[in-house]
Amino acid sequence: MSRVRVMEQRPAAPATPSGNLLLGLVALGTVFMLLMGLLGTIKTGVIFNEANLLFAALTFYAASTVLYIGFAVTGTERFVRSAWLATWAGFISNTLAGAHRWYTAGHAPFSSVYEMLLAFIWAVAALTLFLQRKYGVKVIGTITMPVAVLGVVLMQLLPSEVRPLVPALQSFWLHIHVVLAMLSYAACAVSFALAMMFLIQDKMRTESFLANSSALVALVYVGALSRFADGGLKVVARNPETGGDLMIQRGMPLMVIIPDLGWLFAIVLVALLAPLALYAWAVWKHDDRGLAWANRAFVIALVLQVLATAAFVLRVRGGLYASPMVEGFFPTALANSPFILAGLLSGLLASVLYLMLSWRREGLQQMLPSADTLDRLTYKTIGVAFPLLTLMIAAGAYWANQTWGSYWGWDPKETAALVTWLVYAGYLHMRIARGWRGRRAAYFAVLGFAVVMFTFFGVTYLLPGLHAYA
Amino acid sequence: MAAQARSIRLQLWQALGSVRTGIILLILSGLAVMAGTLILQRPITEPAKLHQVYSPDTLRLLDALRLTDVFHSWWFVLLLSLLSANIVVASIERFPAAWRYFSHPARRAEPHFFASLAMKKAIPLRSSRLDMGRVELAFHRAGWKPQYVGDDRGSVSLYAERFRIARLAPFVVHASLLLILAGGIIDGIFGYKGFISLGQNESTNQLELRDGTHKTLPFAIRCDGAGQENYADGTPKRWWSRLTVLENGRTVQRKEIVVNDPLTYRGLRFYQASYGATGEVAGVKLQATSKGSGAKQELWLKLDEAVPLDKDATVRITQFVPDFVVVENHIESRSDQPNNPAVQISVQSAKVGENKIWLFPKFPEFTHANNTGFDFRVEHVQMGYFTGLEVSHEPGQWAVWAGVILMGAALALVFYFVHVRLWALPVDDGQGRLTLWLGASASKNREDFEHKFHGLVDAVEQELKTQGSAAKLQRAELMVVK
Repeated sequence: MSRVRVMEQRPAAPATPSGNLLLGLVALGTVFMLLMGLLGTIKTGVIFNEANLLFAALTFYAASTVLYIGFAVTGTERFVRSAWLATWAGFISNTLAGAHRWYTAGHAPFSSVYEMLLAFIWAVAALTLFLQRKYGVKVIGTITMPVAVLGVVLMQLLPSEVRPLVPALQSFWLHIHVVLAMLSYAACAVSFALAMMFLIQDKMRTESFLANSSALVALVYVGALSRFADGGLKVVARNPETGGDLMIQRGMPLMVIIPDLGWLFAIVLVALLAPLALYAWAVWKHDDRGLAWANRAFVIALVLQVLATAAFVLRVRGGLYASPMVEGFFPTALANSPFILAGLLSGLLASVLYLMLSWRREGLQQMLPSADTLDRLTYKTIGVAFPLLTLMIAAGAYWANQTWGSYWGWDPKETAALVTWLVYAGYLHMRIARGWRGRRAAYFAVLGFAVVMFTFFGVTYLLPGLHAYA
Repeated sequence: MAAQARSIRLQLWQALGSVRTGIILLILSGLAVMAGTLILQRPITEPAKLHQVYSPDTLRLLDALRLTDVFHSWWFVLLLSLLSANIVVASIERFPAAWRYFSHPARRAEPHFFASLAMKKAIPLRSSRLDMGRVELAFHRAGWKPQYVGDDRGSVSLYAERFRIARLAPFVVHASLLLILAGGIIDGIFGYKGFISLGQNESTNQLELRDGTHKTLPFAIRCDGAGQENYADGTPKRWWSRLTVLENGRTVQRKEIVVNDPLTYRGLRFYQASYGATGEVAGVKLQATSKGSGAKQELWLKLDEAVPLDKDATVRITQFVPDFVVVENHIESRSDQPNNPAVQISVQSAKVGENKIWLFPKFPEFTHANNTGFDFRVEHVQMGYFTGLEVSHEPGQWAVWAGVILMGAALALVFYFVHVRLWALPVDDGQGRLTLWLGASASKNREDFEHKFHGLVDAVEQELKTQGSAAKLQRAELMVVK
């Protein structure tokens, strides 16, 4: 019998009374959300449309997130069964939403960031279900389901109208390209989750996770602070008529400055660098008190993060702001800064996941499959992701060749995809090299997903921004 | 000295072919490509933009390090060359062993080989006789096609395997990568890209290359028509151009190209790249109604081309304004778009002399009276346009696509096909008793294969148990025959 099976047979932790409480709360919450959604549809009389199906998917994914996190913290086996059902329900709603969009648009829904996210989340949910079913990795949903929820929330903010395909996008190869991209990116996301679990099982010090989480979240704030201006934060203004971005001219949105937010973000950044510095000091001096202080600093940073996120949401939603480009005051909305918001929420998520780890490390280690199994599963997932990534780049090159007359033009999106490919190629060779497999390979799996996210969002939204506003 | 030099050369050779060197080169390439992603690159970015984004000192430093044109810098080429050398050396180092696996599979497993196998099982047999046919049957039932292997001592064993080709797949992956790189190098040296802009019925054999120089093609290309179709909301749906290839004035190929569907001739591909109005009029369809007879005729007019109206009068266009507006008693055009076109025609008549008449297609009633004996009406204004064609010559692209297909297939082999081998060997323990050794090896994912192997072991044991009864049955039959 393989080790995986053995693990499944381990007796479940006894259900605690709080298990019933959480299950009841999640069930109530789900029913409440669905009822609210249903009430909303009474006016229009249409139940099965894309927006409603997506709302249902969001509800179910959120329920499954809560249950998976509940499982990771308490180890209650019943949570997993309910989470499994909730994930299935979300997956089905997600599939139907995609199908509905395909049907109404008349073309495959792979032509905007919104549609790509729809496919990405679908693939993430599918892989989560598959890994749990086939290999019994139950905790994987604790990482992948929050990602799915974040994705659906982000989708609510992105322009979702079905647009006719401009000539360059009317290509069979483009669809192949995007489908391959979303499947491989989803596989990368799952391999990332598995590699993180491997690092937990491989006895990586909790403080190393602390350093990495604070560095990661600090990077989010560094990215956001690339919009720093006069103590404020530059965001795109909202066009009151369309609800979309207010454009000065083609490709150049009007920016407004929300005062003081820049300073607030800078404070959060400093607060996030504090645990990093304390960690470095503790490692250098071999002083464990430094680590305790680093943990405390991290909690403070989390509180500040919550404050900054709340301030960002509140200030973006209300008020008119001056622009450095044009005289007058303009409104803005969350929908105009989807990537800053997504970054802030991911930062919160990463912080909460770290706190969960530091709080329940031993319980978690008992629930997770062995380091060996996780290492093999990471390899297998990348064994799915890497060929897909290769073919994705090839299909994209073929499309570019059909459309622009060259299969490789060294543009940022292409080169970023090439970096992803190189990192995963590095991972695969790491596993061959004696003494470099295991933890070093896992670092590469983590790095690979970071580059994937950069390619997916960063190049589209950060790089033009970096170049236009630097 | 010579021995030392040889050992240094050997060390260098081994270092060049090691996996660690490969990983380091991969990391360095990744960093270089990342730098090329994050730093604005010269061929793509306008110089003005670079000066706007970077301070003069930073820009000088970046230029000195070739960081503003990473992908054409000598050090990036060096990096790729080292990576290729690493692949070649590593392949040369490892190929012979893999080829031995492939060409001389170890069909016969000796006992000492068995000892080294990770998956093995010894099944002790009670009797000194073993019907290998039973074992073969169990193999067949589990989906294996075993073969009998005998040796010179007369003992017989079973061997089965699957996907031996998977041993060679990694070499194919690396070779295909080199093939893709080779295609890219061929295109870098022999390929070129250029641009052609054509109006209707224009033809040219001049290609404007990226660096501003011109190249004369051995044939000419003519645009017979081009256009744009829009969706209901005004976004463009389709751009098309009808192209004709002319060689020595003779038509050799025609095609209507659209975005995503180029014309290919003699290794050159012509892409629909842009389309636009020139602001000039290509032709006007004019309806002339005779005031006397009421007879109507339709005329196609081009700018400054006189067309006979009747036997003693001609008409021609003298002025065209695409977007007519009068500013301080001057006629001007607000734009190049035919939003409010105005056509001035001149009628030259032998009887009444010259008459100049302004016509407004959007306001047909707004015409001055004239004494030419005709009423004029503009039926249609055909604006002039140009089509922009991107032209590229990429002689190495076939190597690229062949490499891509090869790589896809080989990657599938690498990840999803495992070379699995099975042996069944009866071993005499020297006391007249037999032990059946079962062994297996998998080139990877051993953990997954392990339970299949255990399943096979169970099946063989089961089959051998029934052998007892089968043998009895046979003897009984024999007895009956006696």
